[in-house]
Amino acid sequence: MIKAAIATVAVVVLLAAVPFIAHETVVQYAINALLLATLAQGWNIVGGYAGYPSFGNSVFYGLGTYGTAIAMAQFHHSFETGLAWAAVFGVACALIFGIPILRLRGPYFAIATLGLSAVMGAIAANVPIAGKNIGLILPLFRGDRMFYELSLALLLFATGIVLWVSKSRFGAGLIAIREDEDAAQVMGINTTAYKVAALALAALVSGLAGGIHAYWITFIDPASAFDGSLNVRMVIMTLFGGPGTVLGPVIGALILSGVSEVLASQVSSVASLFYGFVIVLAVIFMPRGLIDMLAGVRFHGLRYFGNNMRRYRL
Amino acid sequence: MGLFGQILVNGILLGGLYGLMALGMGLVWGVLNIVNLAHGALIMLGGYAVYFLYTGAGIDPFAALPLAMAALFVFGYLLQRFVLNLIVRSALLNTLLITFGLDVVLVYLAQLSFSADFRTINPPYAGNNTEIGPVTVPHAQLFAFLVALLLAGLLYAFLSRTKTGRAIRATSQNLTAARLYGVNPRNIYCLTFGIGAALAGAAGGLYGVVSQITPYMGVTLTAKSFVIAILGGLDKPLGVIVGGLVLGIAEAMTALYLDPTFTDIISFGLLVVILVARPAQLVGRA
Repeated sequence: MIKAAIATVAVVVLLAAVPFIAHETVVQYAINALLLATLAQGWNIVGGYAGYPSFGNSVFYGLGTYGTAIAMAQFHHSFETGLAWAAVFGVACALIFGIPILRLRGPYFAIATLGLSAVMGAIAANVPIAGKNIGLILPLFRGDRMFYELSLALLLFATGIVLWVSKSRFGAGLIAIREDEDAAQVMGINTTAYKVAALALAALVSGLAGGIHAYWITFIDPASAFDGSLNVRMVIMTLFGGPGTVLGPVIGALILSGVSEVLASQVSSVASLFYGFVIVLAVIFMPRGLIDMLAGVRFHGLRYFGNNMRRYRL
Repeated sequence: MGLFGQILVNGILLGGLYGLMALGMGLVWGVLNIVNLAHGALIMLGGYAVYFLYTGAGIDPFAALPLAMAALFVFGYLLQRFVLNLIVRSALLNTLLITFGLDVVLVYLAQLSFSADFRTINPPYAGNNTEIGPVTVPHAQLFAFLVALLLAGLLYAFLSRTKTGRAIRATSQNLTAARLYGVNPRNIYCLTFGIGAALAGAAGGLYGVVSQITPYMGVTLTAKSFVIAILGGLDKPLGVIVGGLVLGIAEAMTALYLDPTFTDIISFGLLVVILVARPAQLVGRA
């Protein structure tokens, strides 16, 4: 226990020191990776613990970017206030859409979230205060170190939430919903409240990630804010690392961000292609993620993959 | 009134095509219990197949349809045989995720191979039309609509009259019982997915004639196909066509009375409303 605590502190200190040691470009990549890891953690609460496959979490991120941008560009508030707006926008959306959409299950839920992410950009493009199609320009602030530390803090916060979820009665309720929702309801779990709370937590961290990104990039428009490919990335990072685990999404996000940056430096769409292949292969060969795979391979050797493959074959 | 009639006709013609898109998705969903999120990508591939057969080999788009369908059938058959059959018995989450991954793979392969340009299949008769009273009926759209109806009818006949079709329906109703009567589910699953892909391919080719093809056209079409499949009922090909007409008319009316940028918003608003209003009853079985 003490060993684990010391190791955690050491890793955090090491990560916090990165912008003081590493090259500027590396820090910029790292900010992106940390924000993606935060999104993956958010997805992990809904998709990993509650077992609801959301393909629309990018909406919370997009609303977060718009929350900060509207507060700062239209009302000249400070960045702190902007972040608060980002959180409020994200969580409000989760509550408004979550209550009807979370009554749906399985494919119905998945398609409804897919639809939500497809139209949100079109809606933002019709709202005057959001700058319509043109977008919004935020005040310029150069400080990659500050953005890095802020992103790291947000990721730690998100991971802290997931750690709490994994240990709490609330998390046990979410897992019960994932395994058998009807049974969970019979056991006295208020499934609707649990699911909406899970989505709101995901929306909170995703919205904050969007808020940080908006001020960092200083320009947003509907297409970049509601970028559907973010959904691809957060789902695959969680899936690759291990859905329903505390550290899986973070590890998955950091590894896959690294690989995709290398690939994207050649041709940008190759990175997206790579993500697609990883999803397909991960579902077939390591459906419980990297952490489970490492343990499984140590125990069973290469038969681990064969066992996974055989399990669901026709 | 003339404008209303025109919009109604446009909606109906587009709706038939939407129905065709949803047919393949509903068939695969009903029989394999896979909600194929890559369905839109298969539609997109069909569009490119017809486009290249037309621009490359000079084959008329409507004559190219059977070729595109055959190609997509083989592709779908192999995809099911070597990829999807590996996970077909796992939880729904996994089948959603794997088809989502396949969608991403196909979209970006298409972007790398065909570029992100908008393309339209423009046969010489694309501008022709017939005036019926105050209403103009464009020929290409009308042919596309008729082909969609024809394919729905053929699917209906195939499922209800042929031995293979009956085996497919038996598998969807009760896998174990079908097996006991000598149906080989592996083969049936591959055939079904192949047929679903072929129908998607036909829809894509027709869509390319009446609209535009891009690598990214699939996402919204997947979601629309899903809504229509629910509206129409999974195992009723003709009901699915009616569902397509409903959506097509709703979109055309939105474009007229609200604003063209609202069409997708309305169709997804409709989607959420339909889904929330007890989908189980609409589908007829949970």
